[in-house]
Amino acid sequence: MKRGESLEPIPTDLIIEIFSRSPTKSVARFRSLSKQWSSILSRSHFTELFLTRSWTRPRLLFAVQRSNVWLFYLSPQPQNPYDHKSSSLILAADFHIKFHRYNMWMDTSSISRSSCSYASGLVCFSGMWISLEDDCPVPVICNPNTGQYATLPKIRTYGSTSYSFLGFDPVYKQFKVMSIAYRPRHERVDHRILTLGGNMRWRKINCRLYHVPLYQDICINGVVCFDVRSEIFKFIDAAEFYRDWYIEFINYKGKLGVISWKFGKPGTTELRLWVLEDVEKHEWSKYVYILPKNAPIDSKNVNVAGVTTTGEIVLWIRYASKRFYVFYFNPERSIYQSVEIQGFGESYEKSNGHIVCVFVDHVEDLNVSDGKLF
Amino acid sequence: MSKSEKKIVLKSLDNEAFEVEKAVALQSQTIWVMCEDKCVGNEIPLENVTGQILAKVIDYCKKHAVVDGDGDESSEELKNWDTEFTKNMDQSTLFNMILAANYLNIKSLLNLTCQAVADKTKTIDEFHTFLNIENNFTPEEEAQICQENLWAFDD
Repeated sequence: MKRGESLEPIPTDLIIEIFSRSPTKSVARFRSLSKQWSSILSRSHFTELFLTRSWTRPRLLFAVQRSNVWLFYLSPQPQNPYDHKSSSLILAADFHIKFHRYNMWMDTSSISRSSCSYASGLVCFSGMWISLEDDCPVPVICNPNTGQYATLPKIRTYGSTSYSFLGFDPVYKQFKVMSIAYRPRHERVDHRILTLGGNMRWRKINCRLYHVPLYQDICINGVVCFDVRSEIFKFIDAAEFYRDWYIEFINYKGKLGVISWKFGKPGTTELRLWVLEDVEKHEWSKYVYILPKNAPIDSKNVNVAGVTTTGEIVLWIRYASKRFYVFYFNPERSIYQSVEIQGFGESYEKSNGHIVCVFVDHVEDLNVSDGKLF
Repeated sequence: MSKSEKKIVLKSLDNEAFEVEKAVALQSQTIWVMCEDKCVGNEIPLENVTGQILAKVIDYCKKHAVVDGDGDESSEELKNWDTEFTKNMDQSTLFNMILAANYLNIKSLLNLTCQAVADKTKTIDEFHTFLNIENNFTPEEEAQICQENLWAFDD
């Protein structure tokens, strides 16, 4: 029999090569191929290989809320977006998974940048209403790879506002959620922490510093840092940028970064970037970049999705049009590329109260296992 | 070097002969080692690859050799060419290309073809067929494993 007319059996290591390049959803399906494959695909040899492949193709993750249903989309992050000759690059966002539960919603009127946070593959929705009878929303953690979720226990906040943030400790490989409840009448802030996969109870922790949480984790003239592993707070002097109101915190190549804006006529808009070089000495370095003329950025609409490991600042625009754009800005080379994301246009329409959250460098990690976490 | 020394003949399993530039063929680590060892003449028998598949492998190597030498095409154009190259291949051709790329040890072609199969093949039935894998679960075990991975079957 000639080869080509019949199929030669493919060696197992080549099948592993193929499976390690497949989407997480396919890998989960392939577990039901046979007993042998169910076991191979769960072993750490495979999950680590899968993770290294995933790292080489990081993606943008879009969380889109439409009529109380969250839809997750993934889109590749172009390795070098500026190579393209056309002014706008078009990329498709693939629908990945739906996350919904009957009677669970997020209040669109109180959406802020702290409503949705992301760490190492998991998304945390700060406050989700579970039912009409409830008096307060609860944090919900969702795995965008699988659509599985956990609702965290309610926190007694006595009518105050609370925010939840997700963090990941890469050494002990633990996810922790911190809740900050601000009680202005008592001039106090309550901090609680919960370890995912543990007994799922909130533990009270003490912060010696009185700080008012704004947007993310900041107070008026300083940044309060929280070490996820040791659970210790640290106060970092941030007098440099405290006058700038419109600021966003980012992970800049592993360091804490802050972005603020100075808006002006086209071609004069400044993007200011502070990077915390030394945590102990409170040393910040400051960079100012002028955005190109064709960047359609203004004070009302700009959002920072994050900074990729290769140093591209990814921006996006809220409710610009039915088309959805993200913008890659390389500060070192001062070049800029807009990318139209196709695929969830019908889920994202102007003034319909849809919510979109964008996260950079999403990698699909099979080690983030629902069974252990939720 | 005379003209004939720059060329090399690759002979497929079904005795089809392909005369190619040495620079094109040497992208295969397997052929490179064979040439280094001087254990072969100008004609290299490839006992694991059919003429039909070898022709495609040579197309790939020609394209990539030209680009490496001249640098007249951008990496973007090359990437588009790669996408087109695998786009219309059927599953059995792709699997044979994977085997050929593995045997000839051409890393970039192996990456490309494995990724193409990963992108195209989504259902279990396809893999049962192409990989000849037998489902040896008991009905109870199968029900349980499907239940554990239920989210993956929800489209």
